[in-house]
Amino acid sequence: MGQVMEKRASKQFGGALPFLLGFLGAAAIGWVLVPELVFCAKEQPFRFSHQTHVEGQEMACEDCHFFREDGSYAGFPRNEECMNCHDVGAPEDRAVVLEAIEAAGGAEAVLAQESGPEDLDSLIVSAEPEDIAAEREMLVGYLLTGVEIPWYTYQYQPDNVFFSHKAHANLTLADPDAGHGEAEGAEAVEAEETTDQANCALCPPAGIESGTSPPPFMENVISGYSKSTMKMWQCEQCHAKMHQDNACYVCHK
Amino acid sequence: MLNRRSFIQLSVGGTLGLLVTPAIWKATDDVSIWTQNWGWIPKLKKGAVEGVPAVSKLCPNGCAVRVMTVGGEAYGTAGDMDNPLSQGGICPVCANGVQMMNNPVRVTGPMKDGQPITWDEAAEILKGELDGAAGSVAVISGDDTGTANEVLSALAADGSYYMMPSAMGTATKAWNGLMGGEGQIGYDMAGSDLVVMIGAAALESYGTTVANQKAFDAARPTDADATTEFIYAGPMGGHTASVCDGFIPVNPAGMKAFALGLAYYLVMEGATIESADFGALKSMLASSYSPAQVEKATGAKSADIQTLARKLMQASAPVVLCDFGMSPSTVAAGIVVNLLLGRLNADGGMVALAELPTVVDGALDRVARFEKDIVGDLASGTFAPKLTLIYEANPAYNASEVMEKGGFTVAFSTWMDETAAKANLVLPNAHPYERDDDLANPFGVAATTYVASAPVAKPGYGSKSTADFLLSIADLGYETFAEVLEAKGSALVEGTVGTYSVSLAIDALGTEIMPGDGLQVAVYNNLMFGSAKVATTPHNPVGIRANELKGMDMFVKLNGATAAAQGLSEGDKVTLTGSGGECKALVHVSEDVMDGVVAVPEGFGHTEWDEFSRGKGDKVYGILAKNADGGSTSWAGTTVNIAK
Repeated sequence: MGQVMEKRASKQFGGALPFLLGFLGAAAIGWVLVPELVFCAKEQPFRFSHQTHVEGQEMACEDCHFFREDGSYAGFPRNEECMNCHDVGAPEDRAVVLEAIEAAGGAEAVLAQESGPEDLDSLIVSAEPEDIAAEREMLVGYLLTGVEIPWYTYQYQPDNVFFSHKAHANLTLADPDAGHGEAEGAEAVEAEETTDQANCALCPPAGIESGTSPPPFMENVISGYSKSTMKMWQCEQCHAKMHQDNACYVCHK
Repeated sequence: MLNRRSFIQLSVGGTLGLLVTPAIWKATDDVSIWTQNWGWIPKLKKGAVEGVPAVSKLCPNGCAVRVMTVGGEAYGTAGDMDNPLSQGGICPVCANGVQMMNNPVRVTGPMKDGQPITWDEAAEILKGELDGAAGSVAVISGDDTGTANEVLSALAADGSYYMMPSAMGTATKAWNGLMGGEGQIGYDMAGSDLVVMIGAAALESYGTTVANQKAFDAARPTDADATTEFIYAGPMGGHTASVCDGFIPVNPAGMKAFALGLAYYLVMEGATIESADFGALKSMLASSYSPAQVEKATGAKSADIQTLARKLMQASAPVVLCDFGMSPSTVAAGIVVNLLLGRLNADGGMVALAELPTVVDGALDRVARFEKDIVGDLASGTFAPKLTLIYEANPAYNASEVMEKGGFTVAFSTWMDETAAKANLVLPNAHPYERDDDLANPFGVAATTYVASAPVAKPGYGSKSTADFLLSIADLGYETFAEVLEAKGSALVEGTVGTYSVSLAIDALGTEIMPGDGLQVAVYNNLMFGSAKVATTPHNPVGIRANELKGMDMFVKLNGATAAAQGLSEGDKVTLTGSGGECKALVHVSEDVMDGVVAVPEGFGHTEWDEFSRGKGDKVYGILAKNADGGSTSWAGTTVNIAK
């Protein structure tokens, strides 16, 4: 009796059909839907235009993203560096502007306006309306109050990983296929010997250096890390290709 | 219709379908990585690594350091290559400056009788007590070098000012008190070709030890001959004696006699001092410090003393450092030797630095601050104020009667030390790295030395800079302590006071230090043990040897002959009984100690602080004698009985 029922069921759904439906449906969810759910897009504290600074003001990358004297990498600029151009004056001068902002209804009300109060307007160096709006956000929210801008770092490593930007700064990746097999397919080449950009452009989102608005930071909702954060196997793979040491202590000090 | 079989087929297909996607594997990986970011896991601060010059006041004399910061947050302390006090070196206590700044044993806010109060309430209470005391105010300070003393002394201008016992205090009582000299005594070890240290262990615990060690280091180049000879005379070996070219064992009670024994030979060789007292000195040396008398008092052979005297006369730039038992007359004896050698304000000799002017109206100058004698006044009952302000000192540890006799006690303490635990009002002082502070001519420097520093970190644990707090409740002419330090820095007077005639303190020098019956006591310091001011600091317990501390018991040292004579052997539990109390310890037999002497460490026996220091060892202070000496109180000549 049991054998009869099984045959009927198989015939009714075409034998492997339920299996295929389940397989394909789950695969579609796993490949398409889950990645969308794992990452949450977060916008930078305000719209920062690289285009305005790089093309408009002819600033170089290292004006903001520089190496310190000890070789460590500064990463995002601190308020102190921003204030080299966006001069907000001495602490007592800033207090005067903050008082004017309070008198105008507070930070939220001021940022809802396109201009004013006058003390704040006098600090603006931007020309385009959307740049002015962004600059007002930066001044009111951070430079005047002394609060460091909480930039989202697109590419960062856990505390137990030591990554030296300096050690990687003058290297670029040659074509892996030009070599003699996978392990030797890539060679460390001094950046100045090639026409390629130094590989600092490989880590942040593509095209960020010329964009008018930074792309969102994609945060993994489970781990909290950036979507761009490299995994250890990626580091190891590149080290192997570049004939670099892959011992634990190279990165885990 | 979906039946059981098709459901299972669907589920198996779905499971396998999911397994060929990265979803499960990524979720598993992400969850494992998520464990790195649990809230209680400390996160590294990112940013520029900097070394910020600062003043550290954890050790008795203070250190000039660089506080290492990353992204503006302090994480460690290092020496300061650019500062002559440090030259890249640092003492073991100040090396733990940041650990002490973040130590849970810090006072967590103002307290009145153990109950938390606000700073406003504290200010009202303090103002009320100052008014109520009507001048019956005592200030006790453990900060020998800070201009904060000027703020405190101006605040309590009609009160009494006490400094805790220290080498600077003893030297000031000797030179400026007994001998009527001007300026602050120092020793130019770096410029000398013969350094004789009598009881003053200058390479471990006396004066600017880090700078002294650097002077020693510079005189011992690895690729050339030594340029300076170092000789130590004292009752026991130690870090100083072990590296010196010569070590002469001298009884603890005989240190002054040893120096005057040198003076005897110098005078016999024709040395003189341009002083009205020189004739009296010559007579006194002949009658009281003849070679036979000195040999008896010191335990040192007169031939050795004579040889050393000749060596001093032959050296081109000798200097003598003499100090033992907080005895002004012993320090004065060493000064007399320097004067006989013509070494006052000579290169490589003993210097008398011009005093730095005070900048707060009504403040006591340095010499006036060191005039009083807290130990003597406690013993005589003279110390009986209505209000006692205690700054950077821990008298409850080594002068505990202060807490009973001091009336209403106010502790400006950074940590919950013995004094803060007992004080009526506790006002947490910001850590040295969290406040403006300065080092004005630390004891022993040979040239005017002034180091001021700004805060490296914001005051933590609800603390405030004491000097700033006091300036906020009293009108002393400054709004902030930073302004005071700026004025101090602008008013510096450099150089020495010149050469002139002084009194030779004949009466004090002529008074023999008479040990009683029993074993003579040599107290020795090792900053790793802690001090009267702070208990052992976080990294230092690992530097304490197994024959210095075992479990909760400290060791005292005796040599084999002395131990045998007392019927003692290694590891015996003993009690030392002195004039005012007792002290418990284990016996360590060491041939570093001379016959008839027991060497007792200082710095153990704290009863507060943290679990790593509390109750370790015993305090030495209870067994120390309180002998009148040159207008002060000295423990030189202390003897104890020792029994199992």
